[in-house]
Amino acid sequence: MTPDDEARLIAAARRGDGRAFASLVGAHQQAVRGFLRRFTGHWADADDIAQEAFVTAWRKLAHFEGRSRFRSWVSGIAFRIARDARRTHGRSTVRDTQWSAEQGEGEANAPLEDRIALANAMAALPEDQRAAVALCLGEGFSHSEAAEVLKLPLGTVKSHVTRGRERLLRTLEETHG
Amino acid sequence: MDSEARLTRALAADAAPARDPAFMIAVMQGAERARFRADLAGTVLRGAGVAAAIAALAVPLGSWAAANAEALQTGLGGAVGLIALVAATRIMTQRAAAAWAR
Repeated sequence: MTPDDEARLIAAARRGDGRAFASLVGAHQQAVRGFLRRFTGHWADADDIAQEAFVTAWRKLAHFEGRSRFRSWVSGIAFRIARDARRTHGRSTVRDTQWSAEQGEGEANAPLEDRIALANAMAALPEDQRAAVALCLGEGFSHSEAAEVLKLPLGTVKSHVTRGRERLLRTLEETHG
Repeated sequence: MDSEARLTRALAADAAPARDPAFMIAVMQGAERARFRADLAGTVLRGAGVAAAIAALAVPLGSWAAANAEALQTGLGGAVGLIALVAATRIMTQRAAAAWAR
């Protein structure tokens, strides 16, 4: 989707056009859900939060100033919902067994032991670092885009990604492979 | 396979599907519910505002009417007469304009 197409859809959605908003959801759901799956470590929670984030975006669309990309804006909303939910309800960071049942559904059929090791290593990362890794390494967001989402300085995001990546690589090296 | 490639593959395993109609439907249903709630809240707020305004005006208006019943009757009579006069003038003007046009 080109920035012009996105701007047109946002303008239409602001006027209450549900189909335009559905197109925006369709274009960006993969990035938002992928980020949340890696950040929360729990697919069902991630999808619930993603849904809540898109509905919040629909309600607050009038406040979207267009200074960032739509996916960054929604990811930011999603990040704050996930973080608040974790803090207030103490949502578990431990993955359930869902991934083992769904193994192979992802695009890359990674070995199960790598996925378990990665899940545990991700859960052990500090919150902001995990979010930066999930955005940049998981979903291919640029550092500046991740900085907008997380409302962190660019240098902090770069350092989070570098350190997080090193920790994940170290974990995988320690895992049999 | 080196650790870098293993990390890439393990991260990719958590990718969400590119298309997911069930998720889309759930989001749009949520959005419709949010819109309905917002509309309902707006209607309730407007109704409450009007009711509060009427209630606030009713008490002083009632006491004023009780204290000035005679003046109120005269005023109402005058107002009704004035409205009747305006209506009659309007009807006659319209008829005259129609006759002039013929």
